[in-house]
Amino acid sequence: MTGTDQSSFLGRISIRRNQVNAMEGYHEQEIEDLELFQKQLSDRFAELLSAPDDAPTEAFLSISWIRKLLDVFLCCETECKAILLMERDAAQISKPPLDRLIPELLERVVKAMDICNAVTNGVELVRHCQKLAEIAVSALEQKPFGEGQARRAKKALVSLMSAMHVDDKESSVQKTAERSWSFGRRSGNKDRHHGHYRSLSWQVAKHWSASKQIHAMTMNLAAPRGPEASCLPAPVYILSLIIVFVMWVLIAAIPCQERSGLTTHLPINKHVNWTHSLAGMHDKIGEEWKKKEKKGMAGLLYELQKMEKLGQSLIEFTDSYQFPGEKEKLDEVAAQVAELAEVCRRMDEGLVPLQMLIREAFHRLVRNRTEFLDVLEQGTPVV
Amino acid sequence: METPENNSGYESAEKIILRWDSTASEEGRERMIFGTDRQEADVYLQAVDEIQRTLSSASISDCSHNVDADDQSKVNTTIQIAMARLEDEFRNILIIHTSALEIDSLFDSSTSFSSSTPTHHELEDDEDCISDDSGSSRNNLLQLHHCESSDSSTYRTSSSIREVDLMPAEAICDLQAIAMRMIAAGYLRECIQVYGSVRKSSVDSSFRKLGIEKLSIGDVQRLEWEALEGKIRRWIRAARVCVRILFASEKKLCEQIFDCVGTDIDDACFMETVKGPAIQLFNFAEAISISRRSPEKLFKILDLHDALMELLPDIEAVFDSKSSDSIRVQAAEILSRLAEAARGILSEFENAVLREPSRVPVPGGTIHPLTRYVMNYISLISDYKQTLIDLIMSKPSTGSRYSGDPSTPDMEFTELEGKTPLALHLIWIIVVLQFNLDGKSKHYRDVSLAHLFMMNNVHYIVQKVKGLPELREMTGDNCLRKLTGKFRQAATSYQRATWVSVLYCLRDEGLHVSGSFSSGVSKTVLRERFKTFNAMFEEVHRTQSMWLIPDGQLREELRISISEKLLPAYRSFLGRFRSHIESGKHPENYIKYSAEDLETAVLDFFEGYPAS
Repeated sequence: MTGTDQSSFLGRISIRRNQVNAMEGYHEQEIEDLELFQKQLSDRFAELLSAPDDAPTEAFLSISWIRKLLDVFLCCETECKAILLMERDAAQISKPPLDRLIPELLERVVKAMDICNAVTNGVELVRHCQKLAEIAVSALEQKPFGEGQARRAKKALVSLMSAMHVDDKESSVQKTAERSWSFGRRSGNKDRHHGHYRSLSWQVAKHWSASKQIHAMTMNLAAPRGPEASCLPAPVYILSLIIVFVMWVLIAAIPCQERSGLTTHLPINKHVNWTHSLAGMHDKIGEEWKKKEKKGMAGLLYELQKMEKLGQSLIEFTDSYQFPGEKEKLDEVAAQVAELAEVCRRMDEGLVPLQMLIREAFHRLVRNRTEFLDVLEQGTPVV
Repeated sequence: METPENNSGYESAEKIILRWDSTASEEGRERMIFGTDRQEADVYLQAVDEIQRTLSSASISDCSHNVDADDQSKVNTTIQIAMARLEDEFRNILIIHTSALEIDSLFDSSTSFSSSTPTHHELEDDEDCISDDSGSSRNNLLQLHHCESSDSSTYRTSSSIREVDLMPAEAICDLQAIAMRMIAAGYLRECIQVYGSVRKSSVDSSFRKLGIEKLSIGDVQRLEWEALEGKIRRWIRAARVCVRILFASEKKLCEQIFDCVGTDIDDACFMETVKGPAIQLFNFAEAISISRRSPEKLFKILDLHDALMELLPDIEAVFDSKSSDSIRVQAAEILSRLAEAARGILSEFENAVLREPSRVPVPGGTIHPLTRYVMNYISLISDYKQTLIDLIMSKPSTGSRYSGDPSTPDMEFTELEGKTPLALHLIWIIVVLQFNLDGKSKHYRDVSLAHLFMMNNVHYIVQKVKGLPELREMTGDNCLRKLTGKFRQAATSYQRATWVSVLYCLRDEGLHVSGSFSSGVSKTVLRERFKTFNAMFEEVHRTQSMWLIPDGQLREELRISISEKLLPAYRSFLGRFRSHIESGKHPENYIKYSAEDLETAVLDFFEGYPAS
């Protein structure tokens, strides 16, 4: 099933739908289509859940993994919107319970748009980390490896660590920037190592908080029950849940403003048949988040985590390095440097496409909202 | 490294470098090399060059076994110390010479070199655009402020970029000199990072001074539109300064400093500096472009559209590299969304006019607020004709959305061949307005008043169209003719509805009893007639004095028309039959009025007197 070509799947459903008379309510054919769609989703999520934890590419929560997740989101958005809007008029969409569910969905969509923007901003931070890591790599790759290179690498690595652990709050980041002098005003070495290179103020609204946005999005998010579960409320729920989940994953993976207190408990109803793998991923990521949050964290992005681990180890190495160093140690370090270089390379290749994909998701959300609003406006009289 | 001369040159260079090592020496920490003493700086740079030469020559002659790995490590360390120091110097020079741009002067210069009048209008808007609080507690359809519209005819002015010098030439020289050394030693990345971080915070602080807010899309959706209008105005002014002056100047600075080392580098530095701020700037316009569509938003959205359109060539000039693709793309996307929004809003507006549901009849049959609002709106549309002509590309949707719904008017487009889509929309709006008014008129219990109401309102439309040459040109004379015919017909219908029955009292038939002409007038019937006429006229006078025809000329015309029918008929009736009444008892009960009395009474009609 996972090998199914997505386009042909959608094509199948659309053809079937066109053969059905546009009728009030939910036709048997449509119920069948919905079940088929849910199975598809379930399979794709299972595939995502089964991604290896540690792999050169396609690891769980890696850049390419997230791109896959976004792909699922885009397909889901297309499908759900088609189910809800095709051949229906305003009257059907404005009836209860949709008259409540759809505006709630649109509220979530607005928040998701803001999250996309914040995460895009966050990817810039990741790219910044990449550049610092590249400095370290180029220093560490020098042969013969002298103490000068070690110092250079260490400087870059220290900045890297501090960039990754930048407190998500806006205020403390700006203070950090002011302390980036290494001579003159301040005494004491440790100030010098704080954020040499960045005044990283988030380009988002001052009181905007990613964790609060997610929290608000989870309000009233409940699976439809009974007869509603096979009617129009179902695709609304599917779309809502997937939007919330995907945004949550993005925030967990990529640093952005004010993530502290991010909920690790999304209202995923495990009894709904297609959410099994989704719940699995949610639990896994939630666990990781809880572990890392205590230590003050970078994003859970696989490449960032790798970078952090390698960075720590390499800092220790450069700290105590004396020329010419032991061969064994140097070999070990060379392997780590190669790994770090590989991570940088993957970031280099993957971050821009990731940003473009997030932007694509943003466009979809915009269009989604506009189309729903258009239909709703038709139905309701002007005040 | 082998020869004695080289050695001593190297050694003294090394000494200089080590002396300035801020991690090791107190002196190194306390002073700056650059900025105090020209000579110190030159000496230091020469020292760096010396070390660099040594390193290069060592690596060239690398294959020889004379190269001492230990020495090479030392040289590397020395270079690293030098680079770390140069990095700090670089940062320091940048920070010292970073002064916030004089924002006020920038605003003045941006308004002067851009000859487009929109700026003037916008600056005045702050005072002129006071909300009309005169008791319009009605629906927000009516809270349209007639702000000065922008003259959008100048939006195609050519690029008007103005770079300012962000730093003194000396500083730039120093930065160049340092950059060259850092890049030669392979420390390009560090150089870019330092540059980007300092310049970006400078841009950020300029942003704050320009009043560019960080608002989320959620924030923008929640704000009242009036508040947003102010923000849009401010944004337009700020964006012009940002693109044409701020960003352009940063770009120039990058070019100046990194000129000697290649275009990719100055491009990378430029992007480090402005990418985040540029995205932040455009995010506001983007949030506006996706806000919910409602009629009152049209004109500010068009202003924003025009301003962005005007800026587009400058945006493309400033962000002309591959790495800035996403910014250009975003600007183009926002522009197209704004256009879509404008189209959508126009549709919304047309629907709103069609469906406007208020049923309370306007007292006195005068101009309905909807009519005023719509004509006001239309006149603004014709002000924005230049932009809208380009944006509105399709005919109004008159049928498909309302399949089978009888509650929409018909409009034959075949007779309107050759008209621009915008003109078709304007005509459609007028058609739809009339249709709605027609529906409203049916809520008057008095049929005469219904006709009067239609007459008043259609006449108002005609006057407005005549008064706006642009509008008249677009809608065309045919449309005007039809409208004129309509209100004249309403006037006629009114007269029939009211006066036929009144004048019926003054008819000849039924008065003569027998065949003979001399004495065959039934006095009883005659008395009845007079009484009925009096009562009817009094009633009409009582009610219709409370009715209103706001337009003076129309009021006069209608009165004259009434008089022309009424007075001769009454005079003739009086003349022929008064003797019969006067020869009986209490003639004053029946002949209450002279023709002159009636003439005077007609002057009260349509004055809108309050109910007494």
